[in-house]
Amino acid sequence: MSVAEISLKNVSKTFSPGLFKKKVEAVRDLTLEVGKGEVYGLIGPNGAGKSTTIRVLLGLIRPTGGEILFRGEPPRHGEFQKEIGYLPENPYLYDYLTLEELLQFCGRVSGVGGEERRKRIDELSGKLQLTEALRRPLRTYSKGMLQRAGICFALLHDPAIVILDEPMSGLDPMGRKLVFDLVLELKEQGKTIFFCSHILSDVERLCDRMGVLVRGRLARTFGKSDFAAGCEAAVHLLLPPVEERLRPALEGLQGELVSVPDGLLLSFPAERLPEIAGALTRLGIGIRGTRSSRVSLEELFIETVGESS
Amino acid sequence: MNRVWALSVITYKEGIRNRSLFGILAFALFVLGLNISVAGFFMREVGKVTVDMNLSALTFSGLLLVFFVALHLMAKDIDKKTIQLVFSKPLSRGEYILGKYLGILFFVVVSLLALAVFSIATVSLVRGLYPNYFAGFSWPIFFTAGCFVLVQLAVLCAILILFSTVTTSSFASLIFTVCVYLVGVTIEDVLFYIQSGFRTEAISPVVQEVVKVVSYILPNFSMWDFKLEAAHGLAIGAERIGLGLGYAAVYIVVLLALATLFFQRREFN
Repeated sequence: MSVAEISLKNVSKTFSPGLFKKKVEAVRDLTLEVGKGEVYGLIGPNGAGKSTTIRVLLGLIRPTGGEILFRGEPPRHGEFQKEIGYLPENPYLYDYLTLEELLQFCGRVSGVGGEERRKRIDELSGKLQLTEALRRPLRTYSKGMLQRAGICFALLHDPAIVILDEPMSGLDPMGRKLVFDLVLELKEQGKTIFFCSHILSDVERLCDRMGVLVRGRLARTFGKSDFAAGCEAAVHLLLPPVEERLRPALEGLQGELVSVPDGLLLSFPAERLPEIAGALTRLGIGIRGTRSSRVSLEELFIETVGESS
Repeated sequence: MNRVWALSVITYKEGIRNRSLFGILAFALFVLGLNISVAGFFMREVGKVTVDMNLSALTFSGLLLVFFVALHLMAKDIDKKTIQLVFSKPLSRGEYILGKYLGILFFVVVSLLALAVFSIATVSLVRGLYPNYFAGFSWPIFFTAGCFVLVQLAVLCAILILFSTVTTSSFASLIFTVCVYLVGVTIEDVLFYIQSGFRTEAISPVVQEVVKVVSYILPNFSMWDFKLEAAHGLAIGAERIGLGLGYAAVYIVVLLALATLFFQRREFN
């Protein structure tokens, strides 16, 4: 059995805000493993402890209890940092430096040689469409550009493990696609990726395994295969708003009927599709379109959070 | 050492490009210009006033550089959480402290050297206009006093680094550093007053002891103040220079070691 790249065993973190203030249990008894080449997504509502988990993992804060292992051993400072690349949520970079200077610094402290450093800077800035802005001070960058610059900073030394905290935050659709493609490329290269996100569609498409963190506890873990099995069985049809008199007939179809902003969403097992399609035709209700399984992930997420709250 | 150097280079660049620097340099140039225009009012004292005003302008500008630019070079890293990015790289906390200190020091030295050029020009000009009143003036003493302005600032930067490692806000670091500086420049006079027979009112023994303890803990900035000697052209002995440099070096090493110790225990959430 191969050793996990990252293991968190019964990790807890309690913050003491000060005298006369209640202690905050940010992470409670968290156990998870991320295997080599695996993409693990940690999802959870705001304040669930996702970023704290990452900071504990990076050694920025000390866990109150539990153990963190890197390839089966406690992480050794220096060696561990050489193997990881980290992007914090909304990174704040040095205002008066240019991206090139920042990346040169990153390469130097990570022990990347001069020629290799130059090559990586050109390659990454090209991929993230920052070549034109390489020699501009970072204070002139937009929020999305700073996010992409932060990704360059995280990946410059070609780490084996990439830790991303809300990598899509502040990105426009084009920026999101760029980052999405980059993460897919990293996945293809066999990198281990651990990331937190609120954007469930990204988590669903990128991750091999997902964990739902609620109030510091890992409430649920599901693999892509578990999730896919659940999704294959479901079809989601988007219907137009219907008259009240037709509602009982629709509800009688034994599917799950929910209101959505542009009409109704009818979910039912895939094998019932011909029967339901026939019934809708008889009722004179047209089908506007279908929804992907994304809705189901949202439902799973909301259900898990609801159960754990 | 390569990592320390890399961090000090970016710290220096971040400082030297800060726009506040231009304001501080403009202020210093204004004071130096004022010196030229009002020099004639002082007649026989023109030499002393010129030297004193130049060294004071350098000191005050240096203080502004430390309090308003250098402060942010470290405190902003912590406030804005940039430090989390930096510590995700193979850089130890001790290396970070040393790199930041050296970067801040380079920044202060380069900024002050630029001002020193204007200061030398000012003194030369006033000396050329009133050669009779610069009889006791000596360039080596002036330069020595100028170098000790840098030594004062080097110690102050180390104090700033120490407070940045223990406080959670840059404003608190600023207040503590300013307080230590104010106590440091006056402690010798206060101690002298307490121990002398000139005082008219009784001072409680507790206060006297507290002042004595404080004088041992906090740096005595008057050890590095040679304005008086430079203004009057009084020679500065090698032993005073050696003692001053040694005192500063010991202080800086102790302060940075303490800063590293505190920083290693600090959490960055």
